[in-house]
Amino acid sequence: MECNGCEFRPELYYDDQYQIWVRREEDGTFTIGMTDISQSIAGKILHVRVRKPGTLRPNGKPVATIESGKWAGPVPNVFDCVIVEANHTVLEDPNLLNIEPYEAWIARVKPSGSIEDSLSVLVSGDVAQAGYCERTQRDDIHCERGAR
Amino acid sequence: MGEEHYLDNDEKSVVIVMTSGPSTAHRCATPFYIGSILASMDSDVSVFFTMEGALLAKKGVADNLTAMKGGKTILEFIRDAKIAGVKFHLCKPAMPGYEIEVDDVIPEINEISNASKLADLILSCDKALFF
Repeated sequence: MECNGCEFRPELYYDDQYQIWVRREEDGTFTIGMTDISQSIAGKILHVRVRKPGTLRPNGKPVATIESGKWAGPVPNVFDCVIVEANHTVLEDPNLLNIEPYEAWIARVKPSGSIEDSLSVLVSGDVAQAGYCERTQRDDIHCERGAR
Repeated sequence: MGEEHYLDNDEKSVVIVMTSGPSTAHRCATPFYIGSILASMDSDVSVFFTMEGALLAKKGVADNLTAMKGGKTILEFIRDAKIAGVKFHLCKPAMPGYEIEVDDVIPEINEISNASKLADLILSCDKALFF
């Protein structure tokens, strides 16, 4: 589904500002990426840097930094975790984040606490869908794919 | 896989002294951009607006200023940096000379500070940058 042209994936979890998506994996790790909203705000992404595997990332400390021609900032983190791996394909070609934000994941992390506690700070389902649409409307965000 | 893609820096403190202002608008975006990156990399970043840079903290200035034609406003760069965790100080001694009243100051400013605060920041930080 879409809001203002911004794709929303109902099976994913999100932070309350809809900057990142989180997917729960069967091995107990979480995969993290940028939402369609975030990639549209950033514009063409030129550079991504991820914390080294094994690095502890407390709540509030970013897992990665993003640079575009007009924006620089963190890929935020909302629970304690350890970096497991980065997506090397995206590190080598960051523009993939603009083309397929929900396929081009950035990092895989292992939560330090229980999976349930970590997911409890994220939003999902109908609440997430409503919040996602509200964000696009409130900030007048219209998503575009593939900025080059 | 290039190691350059991985971040492994320790936490650092950085002070950016912002002296550029509306007369050199082309110098006014990059300091906030690099501040955003540094804050995203866990650095403790403070920007100190002084000299003509103080004008960027006056309402109605940064939102009508761009570093390049058609680009984002300087206020948008300031807000991006704020979201990334950068703290903003406005030089109190500079305010009268640029006719800035307390009520004129943009809400992004964390603190109106004396020059001794800038001295403290410079003496205690790991890196100081001047723009």
